[in-house]
Amino acid sequence: MKAMFESAVDRATPLPSAPGALEDAHARVVLDDWERRWYGEPRFSYELVRSYEEAVHALREHGEGAKALAGGQSLVPLMNLRVLRPSALIDLNGIAAMAPQLEGGRLSLSAMTRYSQVLFSELARCQTPLLTTAIAYVGNVRVRNRGTIGGALAHGQATSELAAVALALGGEILAYGPTGTRVIDAEEFFVGHLRTDLRPEEIVTGLRLEVAQSRQGSSFRELARRSGAEAIAGVAATVTLSPERDVIGGVRLGLIGVDERPVAGDRTVLSSLLGRIPTPAEIDEVASDVTARTAPVTDSQSSASYRRRLVRVLIRRALTEALQRAEERASAG
Amino acid sequence: MSDAALAAMPGEEITVSEAPPPSIPGPPVADLPSRSPETSELQGTDTAAGAVAPMRVVGQPVAHHDFIEKVKGSILYAADWKLPGMLYGRVVRATVASAGIVSIHTDKARALRGVAAVLTAEDVPSNRLVEKATGGPGELLIATPILARDRVRYAGEPIALVAAETQQIADAAAELVQVDYEELPGVFDPEAALLPGAPLVHDAGNVLISWHIQRGDVQAALAAADVVVEGEYRTQHVEHAALETESGVGWIENDVVTLRVSTQIIEHATEIAEILKLPANKVRVMAAYMGGSFGSKEGMTVETYLALLVWKTRRPVRMVWSRQESILASTKGHPFIMRYRTGATNDGRIVAQDIDLIGDAGAYPHKSARVLFYGAALSCGPYLTPNVSVRSRAVFTNNVPTSAFRGFGARQVTLGYESQMDRLAETLAMDKVEVRRRNFLHKGDVIPTGETLDTAVAVGETLERALARLGEPSAPSAPSKRVGRGFACNMHPYGRTVWFRDSSSAWLSMQADGTLLIRCGVTDVGGGQAASLCQIASEILGVPLSRISVYIGDTALTPSAGGTFATRQLLMSGNAVMRAALQLRELVAPVAAEALGCPVAGVVFEDGRVTAAGAASAGASEEGISLGELVSMCEARSVDPTTLYVFHPEAERRGFDTEPGQLVSFPDYTYGTHAAEVEVDLETGEIEVLKYVSCHDVGRAINPLRVEGQMQGGAMQGLGYALMEEIILDEGKMASSLLANYLVPTSDDMPDVMVEIVESGEGKGPINARGIGEAVIGNAAPTIANAVADAIGLRPTQLPITPERVLALFDAADGTSASGSVSPVPGVRSAGTAADACAAG
Amino acid sequence: MSVKQVTLQVNGVAHEISVTPDALLLDVLRDQLGMQDVRYGCGEGVCGTCTVLLDGEAVSGCLVYAVQVEFREITTLAALLGEDEFLHPLQETLLRLGGTQCGFCTPGVILTACSLAQRVPRPTREEIRCELGGSLCRCTGYTKIIDAVESYLDDRALVSEETRS
Repeated sequence: MKAMFESAVDRATPLPSAPGALEDAHARVVLDDWERRWYGEPRFSYELVRSYEEAVHALREHGEGAKALAGGQSLVPLMNLRVLRPSALIDLNGIAAMAPQLEGGRLSLSAMTRYSQVLFSELARCQTPLLTTAIAYVGNVRVRNRGTIGGALAHGQATSELAAVALALGGEILAYGPTGTRVIDAEEFFVGHLRTDLRPEEIVTGLRLEVAQSRQGSSFRELARRSGAEAIAGVAATVTLSPERDVIGGVRLGLIGVDERPVAGDRTVLSSLLGRIPTPAEIDEVASDVTARTAPVTDSQSSASYRRRLVRVLIRRALTEALQRAEERASAG
Repeated sequence: MSDAALAAMPGEEITVSEAPPPSIPGPPVADLPSRSPETSELQGTDTAAGAVAPMRVVGQPVAHHDFIEKVKGSILYAADWKLPGMLYGRVVRATVASAGIVSIHTDKARALRGVAAVLTAEDVPSNRLVEKATGGPGELLIATPILARDRVRYAGEPIALVAAETQQIADAAAELVQVDYEELPGVFDPEAALLPGAPLVHDAGNVLISWHIQRGDVQAALAAADVVVEGEYRTQHVEHAALETESGVGWIENDVVTLRVSTQIIEHATEIAEILKLPANKVRVMAAYMGGSFGSKEGMTVETYLALLVWKTRRPVRMVWSRQESILASTKGHPFIMRYRTGATNDGRIVAQDIDLIGDAGAYPHKSARVLFYGAALSCGPYLTPNVSVRSRAVFTNNVPTSAFRGFGARQVTLGYESQMDRLAETLAMDKVEVRRRNFLHKGDVIPTGETLDTAVAVGETLERALARLGEPSAPSAPSKRVGRGFACNMHPYGRTVWFRDSSSAWLSMQADGTLLIRCGVTDVGGGQAASLCQIASEILGVPLSRISVYIGDTALTPSAGGTFATRQLLMSGNAVMRAALQLRELVAPVAAEALGCPVAGVVFEDGRVTAAGAASAGASEEGISLGELVSMCEARSVDPTTLYVFHPEAERRGFDTEPGQLVSFPDYTYGTHAAEVEVDLETGEIEVLKYVSCHDVGRAINPLRVEGQMQGGAMQGLGYALMEEIILDEGKMASSLLANYLVPTSDDMPDVMVEIVESGEGKGPINARGIGEAVIGNAAPTIANAVADAIGLRPTQLPITPERVLALFDAADGTSASGSVSPVPGVRSAGTAADACAAG
Repeated sequence: MSVKQVTLQVNGVAHEISVTPDALLLDVLRDQLGMQDVRYGCGEGVCGTCTVLLDGEAVSGCLVYAVQVEFREITTLAALLGEDEFLHPLQETLLRLGGTQCGFCTPGVILTACSLAQRVPRPTREEIRCELGGSLCRCTGYTKIIDAVESYLDDRALVSEETRS
């Protein structure tokens, strides 16, 4: 969490260019901060926008110190702690939050869709049960009432349950910016610690996910040290049987807590599962190999080595459960 | 209240002969209201239950007074106070753990418009706070500065104060204060601090105090013992995390520095006056109802800073600590390192305990000397221990200071002695319940500090009830999981160590319309401290609860009751109010008797009226008179319906001899047992608590609802301490001061805490109650540790028992069970290693 | 613009006030509108002390700026009190069953429970536990809070049955 703050601060405050300048720069930020406050000026300017176009325009206008405000569940705590000091907040909450819909055979979520809307959506529950399961682990009821799909994706936390699901369900992130619309594959989207592929002044406008197939099973597993706390590690898994034979035809993993960003389980390793029904020992070996290709960190909640051991177990369990469910669905219909 | 009920009260003084037992606390005989000769001190058995007539208010689960305001949301806490011209305060804190202060630059902060004051050490008239000496061996008297002058000893130490027109300006100004440090070597581990050549936290040395308790000949006894079980246990820094952070408002009124703060102890007013070099009458402290405390508000928190800022600016000042500041810098619960050597016979009787305790006191003394005393005094638990040697040291480090935290040292050692008991049972292949039964203390036994127990010891009953309530064992929910059961017994003192000559007072006044005012200096942490007094007064005087108002914690206007800590309030202020009410009754009863035409002993106070007992049969009016009418009659006879009672339990005549650590320590103890069933995931180390029971002997429950609430709340806090709470310090710096990272249990983490109340009827509080507030937390950690050990055959010895630490136990054991055989769970393969379980799928 | 005139709808009453955009809803309700039952606990959205209802849904008052919620329905605990300060049934059961000790978390707990009760006719005990998982309480150990919520829901079901029959 501390590292998260530090890098967040890096991105908010321009780095000084001369020794001793940091102190003055800091003082200046604080004084500017105060100056505005004393004269009744707020610490940041505020603009409510009603469309993505307006949002992008506003971000452009307000420049580098501007930040988009969606659910506020990640951003505002940082501002309350004075770790982040944007000069302008562009409030996206004027943009309609659409309930999950089906579009072109995929589940379509708008950026401003709240976690709670997804959780209570019958459509999502049927079409993307993995998503519904995972969202139940997100924070607490208040976080889910305000937190948004777009906000969570843009924040890019290494432990984001939504990110794990996006990776496991072939997620496509829709972004809009000065250069127009862009579709970014989930696997390309999370690039570093709290860093996404979004360009400056680009914002997330939606997420599209593959819907559950008839011969597919999914599973979400996570361990947190307390209900609602950040995951130590987590796994979203889908296993799909081949159309003709009862063997694995496709498998995907979305992993959280295993790296500085959410990552997909290594494709090459997973491909060894294709064309067969693996034994438990074989699943475990795959879990072990996938884990070996991750880089978990040590922080105040857990050591890297524990995360490594945990993730292997979670992957194994998730794959086992997903396979079992795939088999059940295949035999049922 | 019937005379039979009166009979149940702690009785008259008993003359002390050459040998113990000590006298039962109570006023000298002459001060007691006259009673029938049948009333005498209670003997051991539970005669109280049968002898006492049912009470109307006491013993009932009534919800009243502040609790009503709390569900309405209308109660005012310390921060809910605003005055014209009020400023906002902020403490500027050190960012390094051990350093000299070279210079402090406040000019930029002062220059900020809207800043009213920036204070440093120079501005503090008497910049020192010295904890009153306990008289313990080798005790260092260390002055704690209010604001650091030339030395910083912990990260978060206050260096300067700011007051400004708005909180935002105060926060900005605080950031502009610049401190130049010269970093010095620090020491961050108490064992390292004990080594020769370790950096000194204080020039006088790193050992604050070293308590010794000796009884018999431990070395000989251990040598002769059939078995000796050794164990080392470690606990962590814990944070109180009361939902209300440290807060208060100060102002000057009639030239008196007046503070309204969230505090357990208003008596700090004298210390504040000393710091300001003011006469004591120039400082007034009022206690708001607290939003929880658990010991965090026992020492001064915002008081001195508010007082300084108010006194300097002559304007009202509010200070509310941010949550992160509270986690970073408020005092913490002590981590203990505990080493036990327990000697026993082959049939499981303890012959000796050799115990070493080390507590990390952090950078300044606070209450560490006392916490380590409690640890020492309670380190053998509720077991007869003929030969004892305990060494208990509070050691300075450059970590955040530690002080009072619910359980106060006795909490930590519960893990020590209850782990040892289970280990002893395992070593002797004995039943864990039986080994305890063979060693339980009984009334009349002598405990390690040399005193004789003079009240019922119902720990055995609490053990039975707790285990019975656990019910049938659950089956594991998956092949990779194991279910285990564990329990832990404890004893916990209530009331202050007797040589402090504790006292409490209460002032009761009946008003013209028969309503009652109680004024008592108690403070209320949320456990019904104030409301209980109303319940007691209502029972005795027959005033309905809605017609009683209670005024608490004001050094100017309420008689001193001492603070709310050491689980002393029910014992002390409860007794003060009880006796005040009895005295008031005795004062007005003759007036009533005359009016009703009956003997004084026949006057009944009930439901706001006074009647003659058996009036109907005598043909007299049943209605009697109202309390209001009675007050008029009293006034006509120049009888003032008001009393002030100072409750002074008889002070122990002998002192506490600190060398052998012998003679009377605490007035009495509360005994209990917790039991739990857990499920452990062998592959992830995750622990799920399936069932949990708390059972304590409360003597008598003044309010069963509140007693249960304490038991459930204490158990939950104990479970957090056992499983998930940890303040992590790295070279004196906190890894995280976010609430998001300090994990306290939520409703979604733990099962319901089932409660069983034992009422032995023998306690030294009013109506034979025992203090319950702190006794209820210590059992949780060993209960869980024992349950986990039962599940996996390996014993956790370090808190919190995180999933990672569980896996580390498997690693350390290297595949073999460390403590003997593991009872197989029917239908499931016996526990092997995590790897085995893994392969099983 | 630096200072905005906004209309906040709180407990059915419209309040026209001036706020700066950086004023948190928590601070505006507390300091400007004098609603002391909305309290600061952590500023991180973790503890639930500052919970208010926004159009019936529980949100953290410390994570929303007042300017964001103009014209939305804001509900605080005070809304539950009836005329002459009669307790709402949930307040009454919480009081009677000992679900409040220090009282600091109580407004947030009650509002969250109410929001659940509006959304789900008769939540199970597990569902109540889960919904209250974001409302930290350090005093009660939660059992009596959940007992009170269940008791309230049972009474409510009884009343609606009686009304129907």
